[in-house]
Amino acid sequence: MSVTVDTNIYSREEQRRDEVPYGTAVYNSIMTFLIKEARLLDHRKLVEWGELLAQDLEYKAPVRVTRRVQQFDQEFGTMGHFDDDHNSMMLRISRLTTTTNAWSEDPASRVRRFVSNVSVWETDVADEYEVSSYLLLTRNRAEAKDYKQLSAERNDRLRMTKDGFHIARRSIMLDQVVLGMPNFAIFL
Amino acid sequence: MRLNPRKEFMAEAVSQFIDIENREVSVAALHDHDLYELELERIFAKAWLMIGHDTEIPNVGDYVVRLMGEDQVIVARAADGQVHVSLNVCPHRAMHVCLADSGNARVHKCIYHGWAFRPDGSFIGAPIEKEQMHGIIKSKAQLGLKKARVQLYGGLVFATWDHEGPSLEDWLGDMKFYYDMLFDRTEKGLEVLGPPQRISIDANWKTAGEQSACDGFHTLTLHGSVIDIGAMGGEHDTEHESAPAMYGINLSGNGHSLRCIAADTSWALAHGKGDLTPEERLEAFPPPGITPGLLPELKKKMSAEQLHVLAKAPPVVGGMFPNMNILFIYSPLRDGTLGSALVLHSIMPKGPHQFEWTTYYFAEKGTPEDVKVMMRAAATSGTGTSGIIEQDDSDTWPHMTESARGVIGRTETLKYQAILGENRPADWPNKAKVYEGFGKDDAQWEWWLAYHKLMTAEA
Repeated sequence: MSVTVDTNIYSREEQRRDEVPYGTAVYNSIMTFLIKEARLLDHRKLVEWGELLAQDLEYKAPVRVTRRVQQFDQEFGTMGHFDDDHNSMMLRISRLTTTTNAWSEDPASRVRRFVSNVSVWETDVADEYEVSSYLLLTRNRAEAKDYKQLSAERNDRLRMTKDGFHIARRSIMLDQVVLGMPNFAIFL
Repeated sequence: MRLNPRKEFMAEAVSQFIDIENREVSVAALHDHDLYELELERIFAKAWLMIGHDTEIPNVGDYVVRLMGEDQVIVARAADGQVHVSLNVCPHRAMHVCLADSGNARVHKCIYHGWAFRPDGSFIGAPIEKEQMHGIIKSKAQLGLKKARVQLYGGLVFATWDHEGPSLEDWLGDMKFYYDMLFDRTEKGLEVLGPPQRISIDANWKTAGEQSACDGFHTLTLHGSVIDIGAMGGEHDTEHESAPAMYGINLSGNGHSLRCIAADTSWALAHGKGDLTPEERLEAFPPPGITPGLLPELKKKMSAEQLHVLAKAPPVVGGMFPNMNILFIYSPLRDGTLGSALVLHSIMPKGPHQFEWTTYYFAEKGTPEDVKVMMRAAATSGTGTSGIIEQDDSDTWPHMTESARGVIGRTETLKYQAILGENRPADWPNKAKVYEGFGKDDAQWEWWLAYHKLMTAEA
């Protein structure tokens, strides 16, 4: 198999144990976390959002390819639109927040992140959860009348710490093969 | 400006977009629909286009679907072991034969009426053979998928619809001597690090095309943020002198271009000042993409003249006319060491106001696996969709294109009047046009001259 033909499964279903029911305290705290996270990003509180990222972060948005339906579960490649760890995410945040030349987001986009369809599973590690959520993102910039949109499923590993939840891993499964927005100067 | 569709006026009409004497290009060239149609015919159906790499399709039957201009093609490895490029259009009723981006198939069968083709494009037959549903007028040999001419170079798949035009070698001319230092420098060669990123950008393809021809100047301003956070080296208070190596050697030939950054500048940015001879530095600080383990191969494969260039000022960024952008750059890796990112973009037009930007990441096959993974991450954080460098570029090109929509805006011109002039250093090979010093507009203007030449060539 070649590097390209090789695909990865990013849903990590084998790591999911008992599903945490909707409405339980754990489920609600994770839902609250995802809403807070979206709010921070939408309001460009990027440094505060960065504090939610674990030191051992793995943040990836793999490239998607269209395949025959028999390979529908093998549409994600090894290369990504994001392929980040904690350091590289901090560098991105620093560029966007400490300089006055980050033109891809100056003027800033107006972004809304709609998070839904949240599923939570326990894992083999106490206080760590596998979380799947749907993301619908609208991005408007300058005087554009229309929106650049994006939909995705995110598979997260969330870790409860004394400071609340941290994101240890986020795999962003995009629905688009050819992205309709000109860059990812925003976080997903 | 609308082009006069009458052929005898066409060359003249194209020339009206480009003021050769004053080195200016009409902004209308970023908008004009007729000019765009002519570009598809005269550039994208004529030029050698890079559409992938043979490591994407290692096995017989492997294929990827790519663009050549607005035409989809199937890039496949056939039973003969060779890479074939065929138009993804069924000769029967124009249905796309291949509907996936990649996969493996010994037979490509059109889902509409079942006409079937081999990976080399040849026609196998239509269902119900005895009824001869492919017709009684044309032979099977005449009913294959349209074939492009293919040439591999360093594993890169180049294709053109111009079956009588220059060979790839002639097309690259003197610049091949320099491209060899990037694409054809080790025994095993390059490999892709995964399927390419694809983005649709609301801009005319030439905004990214002309920039690829060594626009070093925009780095200081558009990429100021990257300099600010120290990701491009240089002292903060002297950034405009030292970072990111604004002085260097630009090369240009046939519209192709490369920008060479003095190795001592890169060395100083990474390690501080040091008194090394060029040969010692090549040893201690190989060019981007060459790990220490690959140095012996590099030395064996390159000529003495090429090694001299690599030691003095290796090519690191640039383009290949008309639509390829190259970044073979040093980049910090996540383990804290200085490594590199090897990146190629192709810019495929999708109408006058849109193009598809495809980004490939590479490593030499002989690179340790863990380093490949770090190189891929480094390339992703610097370039392409989310790259902290290039996300500013993809923001700029749409603005330029939008400017061209205004009837007054399109009376403005793109100006290439900062001129360094050819000034080859005595110890530099006498190959291609050489511009040493602060990078100016010379190579980009050569890109437009190549564009003009192809657009006004006799069909």
